[in-house]
Amino acid sequence: MTRYVVLATLITAACLCAQEEEVPAPATKPVAEKSAREEAPIDLTGYWTAVVTQDWRWRMVTPKKGDFPGIPLNPEGRKLANAWDPGKDEASGDQCKAYGAVGIMRMPTRLHITWQDDNTLRIDTDAGTQTRLFHFRGSKVEAGAPQWQGSSAAQWEFVRTKIPPHVPGPIHGGSLKVVTTRMRPGYLRKNGVPYGANAVLTEYFDVTTEPNGWQSILLTTILEDTQYLAQSILLNTNFRKLPDASGWSPTPCTAR
Amino acid sequence: MRLPFALFLALSCSPAFAQLDLSGEWASRYTWDFLERLPGPELGDYLGLPINNAARLKANSWEASTQTIPERQCIPHGADYLFSRAGFPMRIWTEEDPATQKIIAIRIRSYAWSVERTIWMDGRPHPSKYARHTWQGFSTGQWNGNVLTVTTTHLKWNYIRRNGVPRSDEATVTEHFARHGDYLTLLTYIDDPVYITEPLLRTSGYYLDPQQQLEPFPCEPVEEVVRPEGAVPHHLPGTNKDIDEFPAKYGLPAATAMGGAETMYPGYAIPPGPKQVGSPSETTTGLEILPVQKNIYMLAGDGGNITLQIGNDGVLLVDTGLAEMSDQALAAIRKFTNKPIHYILNTHVHADHIGGNEAFGKAGNTITGGDVADDIKGLEKGAAIIAHDRVLERMSASAPFAALPTDVYRGKQKDLYFNDEPVVLLHQPAAHTDGDSLVFFRGSDVISTGDIFVTTSYPVIDLDRGGSIQGIIDALNRIIEITVPAALQEGGTLVIPGHGRICDEADVVEYRDMVTIIRDRIADMLKRGMTLEQVKAARPTEDYDPRYGASAAFIEAVYRSLSK
Repeated sequence: MTRYVVLATLITAACLCAQEEEVPAPATKPVAEKSAREEAPIDLTGYWTAVVTQDWRWRMVTPKKGDFPGIPLNPEGRKLANAWDPGKDEASGDQCKAYGAVGIMRMPTRLHITWQDDNTLRIDTDAGTQTRLFHFRGSKVEAGAPQWQGSSAAQWEFVRTKIPPHVPGPIHGGSLKVVTTRMRPGYLRKNGVPYGANAVLTEYFDVTTEPNGWQSILLTTILEDTQYLAQSILLNTNFRKLPDASGWSPTPCTAR
Repeated sequence: MRLPFALFLALSCSPAFAQLDLSGEWASRYTWDFLERLPGPELGDYLGLPINNAARLKANSWEASTQTIPERQCIPHGADYLFSRAGFPMRIWTEEDPATQKIIAIRIRSYAWSVERTIWMDGRPHPSKYARHTWQGFSTGQWNGNVLTVTTTHLKWNYIRRNGVPRSDEATVTEHFARHGDYLTLLTYIDDPVYITEPLLRTSGYYLDPQQQLEPFPCEPVEEVVRPEGAVPHHLPGTNKDIDEFPAKYGLPAATAMGGAETMYPGYAIPPGPKQVGSPSETTTGLEILPVQKNIYMLAGDGGNITLQIGNDGVLLVDTGLAEMSDQALAAIRKFTNKPIHYILNTHVHADHIGGNEAFGKAGNTITGGDVADDIKGLEKGAAIIAHDRVLERMSASAPFAALPTDVYRGKQKDLYFNDEPVVLLHQPAAHTDGDSLVFFRGSDVISTGDIFVTTSYPVIDLDRGGSIQGIIDALNRIIEITVPAALQEGGTLVIPGHGRICDEADVVEYRDMVTIIRDRIADMLKRGMTLEQVKAARPTEDYDPRYGASAAFIEAVYRSLSK
């Protein structure tokens, strides 16, 4: 049932989006002809590092079993979290359960972001040595069984001032929206706090520049999971740009 | 149709357009960071904070009951903590110019303490470095794509984490607000040259809740704890055992719990970024005259601050700055007002406060009438110079006759009535010197303190001229007795320090606490038989040195004062 509600919502969103297309476009080269890489309003490529100045106790080290205050788990989710057994995960080869698309962005990790092709943005992480692929324009959907990183559909959200009646101004900046589904069930916190197979992860990436020249990724994360959560989770995370690959240190997943 | 393909259908019809309007009722969603944001952080939890040793000592000395001091009870969170960490519900709206419909300001009201904050969007500059600091500071904003970037200066001291980890009043805060549909994300960048070794970045999130109602949040100080007058709760260095509980509880090394920039990153070894350029407030140079309140102005940049009271009767000055700056200072005043200078009040004897007596005195004249009934003979005499008798006594040996006070008082206070308000000189015995006066403008509700209170350094205790540490503390407490803050421990009676920016009671409270805490530490060391060299080596001012600078003379003066 939930799937159909989500589906209906998405179709509605698609229709609304189509209506957006009816707004007279400026007399320039049609946007659709450009690749995602060409029309990128922000540059996410490069090396970035997580900056863990808050929630340290749950991010930099593995918290004890049952340490999940504030996470709106439903009874089923609590039951599963309280049954966390890292030894069992190791035995079944599931050490990467906390390194899926939901958990990896909260890890103390570095990111290496590149364009895999003109319509696919790629994020490699050194923590857990994971790869996320953000597909623009439906360029590809991961086939087969669900994976830790799921399938991610991406689109740019452009900023364009509109003056009534619907005269669009030039594009000046924007952000990246990514929706990830078909994830293999994993942990949103390393101590076994679960998310399920039907979880939907929505992320917004913004880039900011600080007074000292630092660049940051400001990541807004919304996790919806009717299987284990009583309500959606809103998370905010930031990464700081690094000058180069120094410090890049790929490590395998660990369950503990 | 499978769900992922529906997603791709929905997302493939680019371009979409992000929003530029932040208006609305925004609510917090406490999840991952629930413990720190609602109950509050545990004592001794400095994890992931790029703090220095000074911040650690200040945090380790922090005693939670300090918040029961009446002058501290209604202090709200600073702008950086309130919105990026506490994350109370808030309302955002815009203010437009009626003619052009351009946005002049973005306003934010927080549920907490009903704080209102203004982000100026009209390109106005930040105020002078001598302007008053407030809990919410002075903010300007600009859009960068879909991100609103806000720069805030002129913040009062506050905390980075609500367990005593300090943020100084020299910090500059940059915030980035990004809205995505019903979600609002805030990235905060704090640069504090006093307490952190590299900028602190942190994030917070809100969701749109149109049904939200912000209730009033009144605050009225009460006497929660009865304690001796002037007592400041704090832990002496090395005596706070509460901070040991946190690392033990979570199985963390004690050193890790003490934070540090290296703890923020994977691998703990990231090279620092390029050095920051100066903040907007650092660009001001030279002499400045700033309005303070009602009749009162402050001339800054001439050695010690000069207070000006200007009204229909003429000009009254408190102190006259350095002798070598007299011509420039006089020119600045003449540019500001053509009223005659009738009175000069000296707060104490030092050259950076009386140096212009002769020049200003000659430029002014004395009037008769009111309650001025001394030996005034005529207008040609120059401005009257009033001070405590000890000032005249100490100046007589070396100062030119024309610079000497023409009128002295020997009791607890001297009253004047000028420019339609009472002006009261209050003698503070054995403080900075033995001849200090506070000058209280009762109508304008402003106190000029001389060097009993400064914002730029530790207090100077001139032992050779009769100063003492206890006298300084007593005088600071006297200022706190006189001052009455307006709402949220801000504004109300304003305070002009001997050096530095315009202040209010909260600034004096923080300074009084600092002086008292250091006095207590050195007194404890004296009790343990430590020599002056040993006291200096123990660094009893370490947590304040990055803010107030060199401390050797202050430590020595406190030590000698307490040894008497």
